[in-house]
Amino acid sequence: MDAIIQLIHVSKWYDRRAALSDVTLEVEKGEFVLLMGPSGAGKSTLLRMLIGEEQPDEGQIFVQGRNVTKLKQSEIPYLRRKVGSVFQDFRLLPKKSVFDNVALPLVVQGASEKDIRRKVTEALRAVGVEHKKDQPPNSLSAGERQRACIARAIVNGPVVLLADEPTGSLDPERTGEIIELFKLISARGTTVIVATHDPQVMRQINGRVITLAQGAVVPERRATVGVGV
Amino acid sequence: MRRLFYLVREAWANMRTNRTTTIVAILTTAFTLACVGIFLLLYVNLRSAAGWLQEDVKIMVYVEERLPREGMQELERTLKSDRMVAGVLFVSKEQALGEFRAQFPADSHLLEGLGENPLPASFVVTLAPNFRSPDAMKGWVERVQTMEGVAKVDYNQEWINVLAELIGYIELVAIGVGVLLSAAAVTIIGNTIRLALFARREEIEILRSIGATRTFIRIPYFLEGAVLGACGSALSLGILKLGFELFLQQIQSAGRFSGMESLVSFFPLSSCMALVVAGMGLGFAGSVVSLLRVGEGRA
Repeated sequence: MDAIIQLIHVSKWYDRRAALSDVTLEVEKGEFVLLMGPSGAGKSTLLRMLIGEEQPDEGQIFVQGRNVTKLKQSEIPYLRRKVGSVFQDFRLLPKKSVFDNVALPLVVQGASEKDIRRKVTEALRAVGVEHKKDQPPNSLSAGERQRACIARAIVNGPVVLLADEPTGSLDPERTGEIIELFKLISARGTTVIVATHDPQVMRQINGRVITLAQGAVVPERRATVGVGV
Repeated sequence: MRRLFYLVREAWANMRTNRTTTIVAILTTAFTLACVGIFLLLYVNLRSAAGWLQEDVKIMVYVEERLPREGMQELERTLKSDRMVAGVLFVSKEQALGEFRAQFPADSHLLEGLGENPLPASFVVTLAPNFRSPDAMKGWVERVQTMEGVAKVDYNQEWINVLAELIGYIELVAIGVGVLLSAAAVTIIGNTIRLALFARREEIEILRSIGATRTFIRIPYFLEGAVLGACGSALSLGILKLGFELFLQQIQSAGRFSGMESLVSFFPLSSCMALVVAGMGLGFAGSVVSLLRVGEGRA
């Protein structure tokens, strides 16, 4: 199997406190990984490093064979086009319609009008909010907003999808739906990494779990309870 | 196409969102640039006046009192054949006296006591356009002064030089004021852009997270700065034009400077366009300064 993400002895400190401490791990293509751990364990720091938003103080990070720690500032946007991000607070532009929000990554890349229409419609259909495409995000429920956010993250066919506490603002029912959506995306060949501290999410995943505690990786185990929604 | 549309729409949205700040920035820039414009207008008009006066310089070649008729004709031939000379007009002693009496009727009695006409005959020389520079004129005068039969050569260059010096000072002041106030305009627009950046920082964060390049993020702000600068500059020209027309009206109604209105002029259309483009450049510079100082966040 090909490793799409590699972290080799990665460490990061904030004011002498280790956010990540000698983390070494690999994630393979198409894998679904849950990144677990309490708040402050270093999950978000790790995800931010994968999109070049933070640089490690030590170690190397490779995404699809490219050393992220060696990328120039001008190359980072192109890395982010291959790595979709989903956030707990959705980060949708309130003054734009759902369609325009989802289209944004394609607009940024200079995609043609025809491509934008086709890909956005496909992504909205895949996440089940196609009927809300003309509405502003604020008129959507939290679950629908998160779906729109996922549509934006997958619209340009990223190789990796990162989700930082994606169910943090959702009730248990919506959480289940969103996790099912991630499973579907993973099944289509996209590597999915979901960072969460929510044990309910872990109970729904029959996949790999990487646990972080105080910045270090706890010996791995697989989540075995697969409860569908 | 959608990308271009997006960028233009974002710039427009920026200006609409911060409507009050935008209007204040345009007005402040307009008044700032209007101050620069006043000096520029003064400078342009004085320069054109100096050029016009330079064109009109006449050189008086006074002939020696006892020069015989042949000598006079010889001198006229020499002057007329000079390649630097465009025109020669002979003024006899009698004509000179007549002109004096016509110009100074109240003082004409002064000459009556002298018996003989004391005014010399002269040649009024106009130099060819290529030789009307102060240096060329001075060289010609020095050469003619040594000619046989020439008593004195006189020309009104001195006060033109004074005017040129004055224009030089105004030019310096205009440059100084221009630089200072342009820097002020850049700062005003820069601050407006900074406010826009602050207001839209979350949006910028989102754009960065989805892979927008720095240039893509910055273009709407560059456009906004350029539009603010162009609008401010256009408005400043409007203010100046209004002030200029009022000034002309004042001159006409005062009556004391009649004829002056035909000598002063507003910027030609090409200069107005250039000034709007310059305003656009200042606005763009304001955006650049703001983006460099505050940054839209590192990629």
